[in-house]
Amino acid sequence: MSLKVAPASLPASYDRNGNQDPKSPTDHKAAVVPPASLPAPLEQSRNPEPQPGREPQNSACIVGPLALIAEITHRCPLHCVYCSNPLEMKSRAAELSTAQWISVFEQAAKLGTMQVDLTGGEPLARVDLTELIAAARAAKLYTNLITSGIGLTQDRLNVLAHAGLDHIQLSFQDSQAAPADEFAGTNAHEKKLSIAAAIAKHHIGFTLNFVVLRGNLARLEEMIALAENLGAQRVEIAHVQYYGWAAENRAALLPTRAQLDRSLEIIQAAEARLRGRLRVEYVVPDYYARYPKACMGGWGRKLMLIDPSGEALPCHAARTIPNLHFENVKTHPLEWIWQKSPSFQKFRGEDWMQEPCRTCDRRTIDFGGCRCQALMLAGDAAATDPVCSLSPKHELVAAIVNRVNSAATHSMGGASAPIQVTSSWIYRPNPS
Amino acid sequence: MPRPSLESKPRLAPGCRLSDVVGQEATLLMPEGALKLRGPGLQIIRSCDGQHTLAEIVATLQKEFRKADPKKVESDTAEFLEQLKNRRAVDFE
Repeated sequence: MSLKVAPASLPASYDRNGNQDPKSPTDHKAAVVPPASLPAPLEQSRNPEPQPGREPQNSACIVGPLALIAEITHRCPLHCVYCSNPLEMKSRAAELSTAQWISVFEQAAKLGTMQVDLTGGEPLARVDLTELIAAARAAKLYTNLITSGIGLTQDRLNVLAHAGLDHIQLSFQDSQAAPADEFAGTNAHEKKLSIAAAIAKHHIGFTLNFVVLRGNLARLEEMIALAENLGAQRVEIAHVQYYGWAAENRAALLPTRAQLDRSLEIIQAAEARLRGRLRVEYVVPDYYARYPKACMGGWGRKLMLIDPSGEALPCHAARTIPNLHFENVKTHPLEWIWQKSPSFQKFRGEDWMQEPCRTCDRRTIDFGGCRCQALMLAGDAAATDPVCSLSPKHELVAAIVNRVNSAATHSMGGASAPIQVTSSWIYRPNPS
Repeated sequence: MPRPSLESKPRLAPGCRLSDVVGQEATLLMPEGALKLRGPGLQIIRSCDGQHTLAEIVATLQKEFRKADPKKVESDTAEFLEQLKNRRAVDFE
């Protein structure tokens, strides 16, 4: 599994969401074509485009992880109804120390990791965030802060920027305060607006992230306009992925087919209109996709998640898979965990695959989809992800989607489905 | 979106930087990933400092790669930078 070089064309960087749906408008984010008339052009890294065919089984020489997802805390002032954190969150007392996190970053950099995504929970809840960013930069990592913005002040922003923070991904729940605060379970929207204005004044990469769902898709155009007005370089429109708290709220979150079709039109128009000014990234809802997402770019293939307590996970929801033991960075070197630990080996390569994946041409493109989703929906972590139209259990997903669409038809139709009643949500609590 | 003018000065956009690890291949780091660079691609990115005009960058490459068609060098370089602009990795001043 070495990094292949794609000399002529330059496909996109790795896609952390791994969406490969041919309908996804992000497909054309591929291909920065290098100057063809000049010798030895640019090469691509991080996303060796998967070619149909067999890839080496559990190769001895495993590259990466290319990016490290550092869930530095599960504490969070927001209670988002679609949070992907596990239902059992780690307490403050269980969190890794500053020195332990720094050691993780240094070990990752030595393994060839290029980027660390500092996330949570709310990473700003860690008082040592500045120190962690400075240490990650010193280890030559690209530093990305994934934040709600709550806890960020002008002063703290200056300090983080000075420590070498490269990029901020600021989450919004909606374009309007009332529904945004409903989805977040707290009053956060106005604070986000004011901190966004402060971020835009810094020379830090700035992406606005909107998680979209049935109750806010009617305002998709407003969300994109907000990103434009707030001076971001990028806007990420990401459909909810149904893990953790989002799985609990799935019936209320799932969009309708009509909403999805309309959102694709809006995204495509926005991409054309904003090209060169605001980059639009789009994450499709995989329940509606023909093929599954290449979850985490393939199990143990590109990404490694470290939870607040130091447990190393190949996927956000991996802990839901029974009979898998996950190693902790407190007791094992990162290199061994990545290359040799049984949990990272478990679904690497193709030996574990069942039919139809085992003989499918797409097995090196989507790797059979998400193992945690296969467990959740099909009851078997080694099954084909049931969101795949080729899965023998696809009718389970079709039934879930049909329930949403027939309910919408009976009420008022897709695109303007009403905001949910507050009392129906299951909110994510804040761990102690 | 029109092609960048020859008088505009490209520079790396916020959140994008050339990796400075000695002894490793140069890499353009961006929020969505990274591009390994060498040869003229690397040269172009190194010139994206907001000081050099596109015309100057092209002229330097044309001098260095004498065998290449100068017009093609110009159009390829402009196209390359335009694509990076579309990914919001490069701004033109």
